[in-house]
Amino acid sequence: MNKEAPLSISERDFILNALREDVRLDGRAADQLRPLNVTFGEEYGHVKVQLGRTSLIVRISAEVTKPHDDRPFDGLFTIAMELTAMGSPAWDNGRQGDLETYVTNVLDRVVRHSNALDTESLCIVKGVSCWSIRADVHITDYDGNLIDAACIGIMAGLQHFRRQDAVVKDGQVIVYGLDERVPVALNITHKPLSITFHTFDEGKKVILDATRKEEQASEADVVIGLNNAGDVCFMSKFSGSGVDAMVFVDKTSVALEKVKEINAIIDKALQADLSKRAKTGMLEESRAENDRQPELEV
Amino acid sequence: MSSPLILLPGDEIPSEYLPSSSSAPLRLGPGLRLLSQPPSSKPTSSTPSHVLTATQAGIFTTDAKKNAVSILSSPNRRYIPVVNDLVIAQVHHSSPDYFHCMVTPQAPHVVLGQLAFEGATKKTRPMLKQGDLVYARVLSVGLGAGAEVELTCVNPATGKAEPGGLGHLTGGMVFDISNGMAVRLMRASSASGQQQQEDGVAGLVVLDELGKKLEKVGGFEIAVGRNGKVWVDCSNGGDVAVKATVAIGRCLTTIDQHDLVPADQKKLVSRILREMKIEV
Repeated sequence: MNKEAPLSISERDFILNALREDVRLDGRAADQLRPLNVTFGEEYGHVKVQLGRTSLIVRISAEVTKPHDDRPFDGLFTIAMELTAMGSPAWDNGRQGDLETYVTNVLDRVVRHSNALDTESLCIVKGVSCWSIRADVHITDYDGNLIDAACIGIMAGLQHFRRQDAVVKDGQVIVYGLDERVPVALNITHKPLSITFHTFDEGKKVILDATRKEEQASEADVVIGLNNAGDVCFMSKFSGSGVDAMVFVDKTSVALEKVKEINAIIDKALQADLSKRAKTGMLEESRAENDRQPELEV
Repeated sequence: MSSPLILLPGDEIPSEYLPSSSSAPLRLGPGLRLLSQPPSSKPTSSTPSHVLTATQAGIFTTDAKKNAVSILSSPNRRYIPVVNDLVIAQVHHSSPDYFHCMVTPQAPHVVLGQLAFEGATKKTRPMLKQGDLVYARVLSVGLGAGAEVELTCVNPATGKAEPGGLGHLTGGMVFDISNGMAVRLMRASSASGQQQQEDGVAGLVVLDELGKKLEKVGGFEIAVGRNGKVWVDCSNGGDVAVKATVAIGRCLTTIDQHDLVPADQKKLVSRILREMKIEV
């Protein structure tokens, strides 16, 4: 029973008829995102993304490992995403569906292959040790547009994450704890995001950020990945019916607008979190007990 | 009843909360179960021989007219079929005797007899396709694990579609709501017109409000399924049919998600109708 329930005929027809009148089920315009909320947890790299009713948690973690033999200067970066029964009753634990393969592939292309995270900066000792950064994506509720939500989560997580400081001394790698040395931010080269469009009515209607029902009623989907500067780093139309070439041209400019909008939301959330941390962090450090502690030990 | 009685699964219902006046047998709604009391050592006339316990968490409600008691459950989304519930089912496939339908998406299919429709005979039975929607009543749920749930669109005693409206739902749109909201909507729609209360029945004024405002555009039809689905149709609406349907769906889902009080519900209805540019 691990299958998404198909739409009924009435629902399918209604969604299509409504779109012909430029009406969407939640009253949005065709190029409008659902309300997006990005919040950060207590630890670095813990992000919660809420996009309409799709919600997910991204956790970034780092550990020291040996780099691959063929790339001794590069650190590792992996994106792990599993669709578990927690997100939707249509998914089974431990069984990979088409959606999971598809989303993982797109995320890999948009974030990893576009070199959003500079993996060379993760190298500690050539060919011996490097940082391995891992992004775990946990879906907690699913109402369509998994790709964009996951992409937002991963990019926000990478920007929020601070890894421990590591120093090489006499050929030995020393990793300092988060409270011993100021943790280091990751080196982000650019901030790509994916924007997913769905087409209806023989490609005549194109909408952004579809809900689950809209996704099911659609004919095809187009994913465009690009950054704030407008550099397109990914573009795909894997399956479904044909899409006019002009859709790609038109929608790329729409996507650029949306990427800027989303990045602004992420930046704002990051700033708010940073200032909150600065306030509480200073209080902790500037306590009088901290000054006296070394003297007690002498 | 002074204050609402909140029950947890396994809680016994105090006898003072049960309607006592009527001589008709007490009808148990969903979420309640009759347990026979273990024979106590000293049987006295004052203690009843049975106890009612809750199987779900929720608020205990009574209906004096029907002499029924039930539990108004919290807005959960998992539906477990109970006999006599009205549900909106979706046909998945058909076999010679039955239509196999989905009531809950990821649960085993339920069956609906090919002839369980008003006026259906072997020659005139409805030809439902995959994906068609049916408004039906739960006839039986069977016992034990893996038991088949059977639906019907007709009252077997009279041969009529009772209550009216059971059968194939054509056109319209289905919106997903929580089970608790579905129950409230059903209570609100069955009681509307009979008694006008200031804050509506079950705290819902949205249907009355929408009915008043959408009267000019031709009104609307609504079918509420206990399985958390509402079917809405405004096919008389002409040009604004689609917009009106979307507006109703948005009102219902927003009220469900944000749990709005009657005053806010009225505001929401006006705001959404304005946003959707429907003239009222």
